[in-house]
Amino acid sequence: MGKSSFFDLDTIALHSGHVPDAAHGCRAVPIYQTTSYVFENVDEAAALFNIEKGGHIYSRMTNPTVAVLEQRLAALEGGTGAICTASGMSALFVTFMTLCSAGDHIVSASQIYGSTITLLKYTLKRFNIDCTFVSINDESALKSAIQKNTKLVFCESIGNPGLEVSDLPKISRVAHSHNIPLVVDATFATPSLCRPLEFGVDVVVHSATKWIGGHGVAIGGVVIDGGEFDWGASGLHPTLTEPYEPFHGINFWEEFGPSALTMRIRAESMRDFGPAMSPHSAFLLLQGIETLSLRMKQHVQNAIKLSKWLLEQPCVTWVNHPDLPENSTYKIAKRLFPKGAGSMLCFGVKGGRKGGAAFIDALKLSSNLANVGDSRTLVLHPASTTHSRLDDAAMRAAGSSPDLIRVSAGIESITDIINDFKAGLKAVEKAAS
Amino acid sequence: MNIVVNAHNTFVATGGCTFDPKKPTVVFVHGSGLDHRSWALQSRWFAFHGFSVFAPDLPGHSLSEGEPIKSIEDMGKWLVKALKVAGCESIHLVGHSQGFLVALEAASSLGTKLKTLTAVASASSIPVNEALVEAAKKSPADAADMLLKWGFGSQSQSGVSAVPGMQPIGIGRQIMSSNPLAIDLIACTRYKNGIKRARNIQIPSNVILATEDKNTPHRFGLELADILNAKTTSIDNAGHMLPMESPKKSLDAIKSFILKNSE
Repeated sequence: MGKSSFFDLDTIALHSGHVPDAAHGCRAVPIYQTTSYVFENVDEAAALFNIEKGGHIYSRMTNPTVAVLEQRLAALEGGTGAICTASGMSALFVTFMTLCSAGDHIVSASQIYGSTITLLKYTLKRFNIDCTFVSINDESALKSAIQKNTKLVFCESIGNPGLEVSDLPKISRVAHSHNIPLVVDATFATPSLCRPLEFGVDVVVHSATKWIGGHGVAIGGVVIDGGEFDWGASGLHPTLTEPYEPFHGINFWEEFGPSALTMRIRAESMRDFGPAMSPHSAFLLLQGIETLSLRMKQHVQNAIKLSKWLLEQPCVTWVNHPDLPENSTYKIAKRLFPKGAGSMLCFGVKGGRKGGAAFIDALKLSSNLANVGDSRTLVLHPASTTHSRLDDAAMRAAGSSPDLIRVSAGIESITDIINDFKAGLKAVEKAAS
Repeated sequence: MNIVVNAHNTFVATGGCTFDPKKPTVVFVHGSGLDHRSWALQSRWFAFHGFSVFAPDLPGHSLSEGEPIKSIEDMGKWLVKALKVAGCESIHLVGHSQGFLVALEAASSLGTKLKTLTAVASASSIPVNEALVEAAKKSPADAADMLLKWGFGSQSQSGVSAVPGMQPIGIGRQIMSSNPLAIDLIACTRYKNGIKRARNIQIPSNVILATEDKNTPHRFGLELADILNAKTTSIDNAGHMLPMESPKKSLDAIKSFILKNSE
């Protein structure tokens, strides 16, 4: 049972946020492909612009189809509200830009998605927002990194690419003891496997492009406000607790309390930066969510079977998945992800960079591409693609290695996936001989 | 704004505008375990349309300090005192559920300053199930779940929200879980003056009801309206958490009544 719905997750995934409309009785969520909405009269328009009433003004801020997705995702995670954005990266950006201003500081896990590292290390730095990267499960390192101007702690529930699981209860305790919130990118897990708000997390972000959609046809992101963080008591986030001039000096915390963060992102970031999700993308992502729990079961099952099979193959040098005892965070994974810790796995092959490339080129069923979370099995050899400009040492420092194959296990028949991988490993043997 | 009542800081939402006691003041009183935020989408309209807004958090609730008050009668007295501290001269009282019982009690002491009285999803008495009270004593969060499962109507239970992207059940739960719900519920159960107080109301009154209300069922609201000889509005597809579930229709019903009685 969620904190914002009394239905079970499987029911929320199909129903939350929408009832058949009175005009047509549409069972499916309609695509409201419109930029704008006719106001009843001038007073109504003024009231909407001044947040005196709820409703739609312009699809950059809100749209009825997108709102259904937002309400569904908020219910799935157990939050008080959600904002959908054009991509997962824009969801992170609006979260950071809402909680931080020039002169502020973020503490982030070091084992996170490369583009998020770039955002935190280079892009936000141009706006005088600094970031310190730490090994997130190292409690003393985390405590030492928090400064007087630190506004949030950030990590991924399952880190990319190292597949280290973040000890969310422990990290949130440290963050809260410093009066700052914990923001978690939970893309690799989805609410079907882990609901971070139940482990003390305050804000959850997803790239909905991945498992939430599952079909690989729509880009999108979401920020979910847990609603439990006491911004007023913290006093460290003036964007939420001090008057906001553009809306007649509104104080989001006093006015909206548990939905203060969502309201501020909507009023400022969506309006000023404009990273809106299209109604069509929202519709496509809603189709994905309907089968999320069914897909995640199969994803996890296949990932574990594939990992165990790979461990037995002579030309596989190592395998990493959080549910394997070899993973350094195996015990945390068992505690936080009882249904399985996702469908991402990595493994190494004999022959280093050459062996890895041979494996990828021999595959027929699995797709060689730079995405994860598709229902189809996806593979990538970072040494030949995303990390190809790095030498071996630099690649290891980035959490990768020349022989590393990254796999996003799909929901095809495991027999067919394994047969495909057999062909790949045969090519590895040939390349090594 | 913050005012001091009985030596305790009291938070009063003013709808985003500076409070001016000389303007006609719409006073919003929240329900059990809730706070001023349940009026977020009614109070701002009045504040920006010629009224002052006075939406307090009752003592010990959310942003207000002090011990929670244990009886509706004393809450009514506290409200009268708070309005006196603020210097309100012309008052329109609006109460949701328990907040209306508090308004009823306060009404008898406000004399000619009180211009209108509005009940939102309420009745002349609100007896609370003993199991719910016991649950609230042990865990406000569990009791909030019980209350909100009943409190929200079918649309909200389906995750539909009048404010795009929001989950009112989640918002309500967060507020109730951190407030003295058990004390409020006990105060409701013990309150027996409602009918007597309602019979003495001589000013224009307004009763706004939800047809799916299970906490203060629609028929009890109609009985209240009958006693008050009130203007009555019934809103479909909403339950007991009417101000949050159907904010626009609630506002329209409050607004039209107060505007008509302000002419």
